[in-house]
Order: sequence, then structure tokens, then C-alpha cells
Amino acid sequence: MVETIAALGPGEFAPKRVEGSIARQILSTAWRSTGFRIGFTVFVLLLVASAVWPELSPYDAVKMDMKARFLPPLFLGDKWAWGHPLGTDQLGRDMLLRCLVGLRYSLFIGVTTVALMFVVGCGLGLLSGFRGGLWDTVIMRLTDAQLSIPMIILAITILGVSKPTVPTIILVLGLSGWPLYARVARSAAVAERGKEYVRGLRVVGAGDWRILFLFAAPNILPPIAFVAVLDIARIMIFEAILGFLGLGIQPPTPSFGTIISDSRKYLINAWWIGTSPGVFLAVALTAINLMGAALEKARNKVYGGA
Amino acid sequence: MQRSPILAVTDLSVAPAGGGRPILSGISFKVASTDTYGIYGESGSGKTVLSRALANWLPGSLAYGGGGVAFAGRDILDRRQSADFRVGRDIAYIGSKPQSALDPTVPVGPQILEKLLAVRPNLTRKEATERILHLLAEVRIPSPRERFHDYPTRYSGGMMQRAMIVDALCAEPAVLIADNVTQPLDVTIAAQIVRLLRDLCERHRMALIFLASSLAALARVAERVGVLHEGRLVEEQPIDRLLKAPRTDYTRRVIAEVPRIWSTDSEPAPPPAADVAPLMRVVDAHRTYLVRRRGHFNSYNRVLAVRGVTFDIRPGDNFGLVGESGCGKSTLTRLLAWLEAPDAGEIRLDDVSLASLSPRQLLAKRREFQLLLQDPYNSLPPRSPIGRMIGEGLFLRGALSRKEIEARVRKAMGEVGLADGLYHALPTALSTGQRQRISIARALVLEPKLLILDETLSSLDQGEQAKLLELFAELQAKNDLTYVFISHDLAMVRRVCTRIAVMYLGEIVELADNHDLFFDPQHPYTKALLSAAPTLEEKPFDATVYLLEGEPPSPIDIAPGCSFASRCPSAFGRCRVETPKPIATRSGFSACHLLDPARSSAAA
Repeated sequence: MVETIAALGPGEFAPKRVEGSIARQILSTAWRSTGFRIGFTVFVLLLVASAVWPELSPYDAVKMDMKARFLPPLFLGDKWAWGHPLGTDQLGRDMLLRCLVGLRYSLFIGVTTVALMFVVGCGLGLLSGFRGGLWDTVIMRLTDAQLSIPMIILAITILGVSKPTVPTIILVLGLSGWPLYARVARSAAVAERGKEYVRGLRVVGAGDWRILFLFAAPNILPPIAFVAVLDIARIMIFEAILGFLGLGIQPPTPSFGTIISDSRKYLINAWWIGTSPGVFLAVALTAINLMGAALEKARNKVYGGA
Repeated sequence: MQRSPILAVTDLSVAPAGGGRPILSGISFKVASTDTYGIYGESGSGKTVLSRALANWLPGSLAYGGGGVAFAGRDILDRRQSADFRVGRDIAYIGSKPQSALDPTVPVGPQILEKLLAVRPNLTRKEATERILHLLAEVRIPSPRERFHDYPTRYSGGMMQRAMIVDALCAEPAVLIADNVTQPLDVTIAAQIVRLLRDLCERHRMALIFLASSLAALARVAERVGVLHEGRLVEEQPIDRLLKAPRTDYTRRVIAEVPRIWSTDSEPAPPPAADVAPLMRVVDAHRTYLVRRRGHFNSYNRVLAVRGVTFDIRPGDNFGLVGESGCGKSTLTRLLAWLEAPDAGEIRLDDVSLASLSPRQLLAKRREFQLLLQDPYNSLPPRSPIGRMIGEGLFLRGALSRKEIEARVRKAMGEVGLADGLYHALPTALSTGQRQRISIARALVLEPKLLILDETLSSLDQGEQAKLLELFAELQAKNDLTYVFISHDLAMVRRVCTRIAVMYLGEIVELADNHDLFFDPQHPYTKALLSAAPTLEEKPFDATVYLLEGEPPSPIDIAPGCSFASRCPSAFGRCRVETPKPIATRSGFSACHLLDPARSSAAA
């Protein structure tokens, strides 16, 4: 043994020592980067704010108050009025509250959609890659078909026919996004299927499903899950786009897209109406991207380059 | 005797460029212009570094620490003395990885031509091409004119190594350095290459420095052999004297470790009696793979991997299956382990055809035959605790409680010699031998009757191999096991197997008891295989008689007739038209027309 190790030279073929699960390794590697910590902190702050403030706020996000229309944010007013720190909109509603409620919807839709795409896409992708044959053909042709339909057209069609509610929006966004997950999971599953340990498990009598879900999936899914974090940001942008086009959550319920869309008319006199949700969205996206990028980097590091 | 040396190495040492423990130190030897000088070194002893240091071709991370290499009297490490010295022209080098030495995007001939023109600029293109074609023929590449324009991917491993020899020879070097050239090759091909190298050096009056980690290969080539151990030449003697009277303990140990086939003291146990009911019975099994033909939309090549294999495995047997790469061993293994079903023919276990079983029955039956895979690194799921993966076969059958499974797993771990504390550990930090023990334990918990070992020991070093063989014998005595050893290692098979089948191109060409197969083989291929076995013994079969040039034909579109006819020294007319049927021999059968009693009468 000594001589074979000497022959290989340092770190050439010697097995990598691995401690703990992949997931834990990736997380701990990512945690060491400043970007991840900043992103994580900001993200948690926004999460807590959007969860807590709407419950505590003295205002109502949808109730109009004609006496308080177009109030500027506190740093622009004649004197600092703490009542509406980010001002009010054209109907006298508190901007801070509306933005945080919008953020709540945005985050909820982003996270739920990605989770859905991950489960459905990876599930089908794993099956497709591991079982092969008819499963593979059918599922892959489905992804082809799905990818050939542009997202916006799909959204207009579905949301035009049915009412745009939170579940339908999640459905539309998820429908357009799952094929990518399926493709990635499939290619990983194909590689996994060819590995020797799969054959070893077949020898003792384990069937495809058992091998796939008990032994192969734990190797395949964690890296995809970490990259999926970046996708939350993408879905949040799409949610805002749908709202802007009037296909998102319907007024008076606040959502980033609708607020920005409605604010265009007042842009010159009351620019803060459109800018506030924009800033919130940008900060949230930056936080998510910081985390996602750090996780992806950590994943590549744990997997040794690539 | 005192010829002037073409290459003289004096007190050469090499160390990492940044300083550190020297890799080579105090190496001195001389090679005369027609010598064949061998250097033995186990892996890690500094062979490759030495071979590159001789050609002044060290990688940037290493530096000469002192001493000199003199080529024809001039120090090649000194730029002023050797301004016109060129690697590739004066000293040529052949490595052990021909695949990575050839550019896959350029046809073989043209890339050798470019190199030749670079080192011999006064040759015309036509002369150079002619010379390469001539050499390609000389290294026995069939139809060199067509092969000249083939891409490296269309060459087999043995042919690539031949092409590398041409590449080295074409510039007519005075010294040829061959670094472990036979290591990746099958034994018969390796023996051919060794013979070829020796012939060529004689004919072209070249000095050959042959570095190898196999004493058996060195004994065939070299006149004098130096033994390299931990960066030092520990001794140097003519080969026959070195083998008879080694001066150092290290060499003595190396010689003792070379496997023996014919001169062993112990005969393996006699095979079980032939009249018992066979445990596993393979009847005329065929397996063909369809491989998409390149450049065609809907056309396939039929790769005939296993072609009509029939044999019985008796209870208590140690059945050996030997053959070189590409002979269909692996496919047959998959059939035996029922990972794939044969296209035709059947495999019966305890007289039940495996194909006739329902999935549920098959799952129950699977406990009785288990396969141990070759590569212990990839054959275990990477992220499951050891106890869990050993118990998997029991978990999935669901008949036992968690407690009982754990008890059985721990018992099996004890039997194979795995520490109890490993039950919850991951397999990541374990050695090859320990990983192989996990595989064995995983099979054992199912209480099998038949264990199929697919090159299970080939990744282990000698010591670990011996320990596992002992373990196998112990388990056999305790649990009434029957083994099938699938291997290319003749010495290992000789040591443990009772009955042995020899495979060639998807067929079993000979099956016999251990002693009969090694001392009285009937089939010419068996004889060729034995003649090429890497041992130091006096062989009963002379490679010059039994080992012909050529490689196994492609398993696509096999012509009728005996598949070995193209390489057989005694092939005659009938061999090329009629496929030989198995003919009963003393303890088995052999598929060869030479054994047919009708042949003598037909010839008369």
C-alpha cells in the first residue's frame, strides 16, 4: 500500500477524505465567505420585516386615505414625520407597508415556485435518467415541448383564461421553469446510473426505485438544490414582470409589479411610489444572489473544481 | 567485452526543484552501443524520473542535483558540449501510455512524419514516409499503407504501442528508452511487444534501456539488469546471475514475490467429483450487443460478446475463468450474476432456469448467488454508513427486523475482519482491502451458495491478496461456498482454482482441471497464453513456438471457422471454414480441430 501511494504522488489518485454530508460541507464552505454572510443577514432581515411589520403596522395596505395622498418620505418632508417613513401613494396608503406586503408575496411566490420546480423537475429528471427507455423519451420530449413555449405567452394564455391568483401565478412560473431542473437532474442521474455501486446494489437485489431514491438521489440533489437558490431571484423578477403587465396579483393587493406599473403616471411629482418597491426588490435580489453565488462557488470547491 | 559506452551515467541525482528529499541519488551505469540494459523498479521507485533524466527531459518541477549523463562521450546536461544533441533523434523515448502520447486529432502516420521531419530536416517528405511505412511493416502493423492514414482511436492498445515504437525508431536513435511499455497490455500482446523490441534493437544496432516493474518482462529482454530501490541502484548483474544469486535482500524478496505457475510446492485441492448435480449450469449462453454504427442513422453493429458458452459449476468448486481483455469475461460475469439475461441459451441454478422466475422468486433466488465487483472504490455507495450498505440486501427483502439485521451484519463484519466500530462509519477513509471486505460482508449476510469474484483481487497488492484468499478459503470451509474466479491473473488462478475455463473471443476454448490445464493444455490458445505468462520459471511452452503475431479479431462480424485460426501456429484449412466443436478431453473439453480423431483419417 505504501508504495502505491508513493507512486501516485500527493493528491493524485488518493481518495479524498470527506467529512460529513455534502450539504454540510457546502454550507460551511459558503459560510466562510463574506458575501454569503452579508446576503444571508440582509435576507433574514427582509424576511423578518415582511413577516412581522404588516401585522404590527397601524395602517391597512389596501384602505385608502384621501387626506394623506402623495405624502413624501420622511427625509423629503418639511419636518420629519414618522407616520409614513416611505411616504404614501396616490391613494394615501403607507408605502412601507405596501412594499413589505409586496415583498411577502414576492418571496412566497419565489420560494414556493422554486421548491415546486425542484421537486417536480428533479423527480422527473431522475426518473428519466435512471430508468431510461420510454420514461426518458417521454419526459425529455415533454421538456422540449415546454421549453419551446415562451414564458410570457404562456402566462398571458393561462392567466388570461383563469383568474391571476397566487396559485395560478406559481403554476405558470413553475411550468415554465421545471424543464431546466429535469435536464440537469437527468444528466446527473445518467452518470450515476453507470457507476459501479449501482451494479453492486443490483446484485444484492435492490430495484431501480430503491437504488434511485435511497442511494443515488442523495448524491445528485444537494448540488442542484444549492444552485436553485439563485433561481428564487429569477422567479421574483418574473413575478414583478407579470405584475407590471397586469397579469400578477390583482390590485388592490400590493405587489411590486403592480405598484411600479401604477406609479408611472406620478413619476415626476411622486417618484418615491415607484422607486420604493424597486429598491426593496433590488436589495432582496442582491441578497439572494450573494448567497447563491457563494453557494455555487462552494459547491464547485467541494466537488473539486469544474 | 570492453566496448565504448554510448550512454554513461555517473553519480546522477535528481531532486525536486524547490529542494527536498532527492528522488534519485548516486545512479551510475554504462550502456554500450548494442546493449540491452534493464532497470527493475517497483512503482514509486523513481523509474520514470530516471528514464526522463537520461533524455534530459525532466519536468520543470524537478532539477538535476549532480552527476552527469554522457552520450557518446559528451555530457548532455552541459549545453556547450552537446549543442547538437537532440532528444528524439539521438535518444528516443517510449512511455507506458501510448494513448496520451498520440494526438487523437491527427492520423497516426502523418503525426509520426511531422516529428521525423522535425528531427531529421534533411530528409524529403517522400523518403520519410517510405521509412515510416517500412517500419510500420517491421513492427507488424497489418496493411501499413492503409493504417498510415488511420486515426489513433482506430488502433488497439497493442497497435498504439507499436506505433510509438515506430515513432521512436524512425529517427534512428542510438539509444532507445522504454519505460514500462508493456504494463497496460494483455500478456500475449505484451510478450509480442517485448520480443519485437529485442529483435529491432539487434537489427538496428541500438542500445535499449528497458525500465519495468515486472522482472519477468525484464528477463525476456535485458542482458544486464539494475535494481532501482528508493532512488538508488542497489545492485547490477547480468540477468541470469541476478535471478540465481541476488546480492541484496531487497532483490531476493522481489524475486521471491514473482508468482509461480509450474514450480509451486502446493497443488490446489482436487476438484469435486463430476457425478454430483451441478450448482450452476450455463447452457449455450449467447449475448450480443447492438452498437450504433458511426455515421449511420439506423444501422447497428452486432458485437458478439458471448457466443454459445456451456459449462457446469459443481458445488464446492473453485471455478476459474481466464481470458484477455475483450474476450467476453465481463459480459459472461454479468450473465452469471443475472444482471443481464442471455439472448439465447439459459443459466440454471439448482436446476431452475433463472429466466423462468418471476421478479419475486428471482429476488429470493438472488440470495444464493452473489457477485463481488472489481473496483472497491466505486462499487460501494459513497454516502451510506457501512452497516447500512452491508445490510441492504436484508433490508430490502423486509423479512427480518431491524435488530436481527444489525446482529447479522455485525456477525458478517466480524467474519471478514472488519472492526465493529465501523458499523456507523462512512467508507470514505478505508483502504482497498477493507473496502473489498465490505463487499464480501455484503454478500455474506445473504448466506449465498455461490460467490462470483470478478477480478476481485486484482486491485490489491500481494500481501492483501494473500490475506483475502485465506479468508475465502476459511469462509468456504465454514459456509459450503462455491467460488467462480474471473481473472486474467494466471498465477492466482493456478493457486486457488480447481477447474479452469479459458475464454477467447466470446467462447470457451478449453476447460480442464487445474493440473491438466497448466501441464497438459490441449488448445493452442491456452498454450500461447501460458507461454506468455509473466513468470520467471522455465516454461513448458516456448513463446517462440506458440505465440504468434496478431491480435484477437474484432467481435463484430466474426467470420466462420475457428476464431483463433488467425493467430494459431497449427491452423490448417478446416480451421478457417468450420467452427470447431468442443471435444471431450481428460477432465473437460477443448474446442479445436487438432483434437478431432477424424482429422488424422481425413488427412490420410
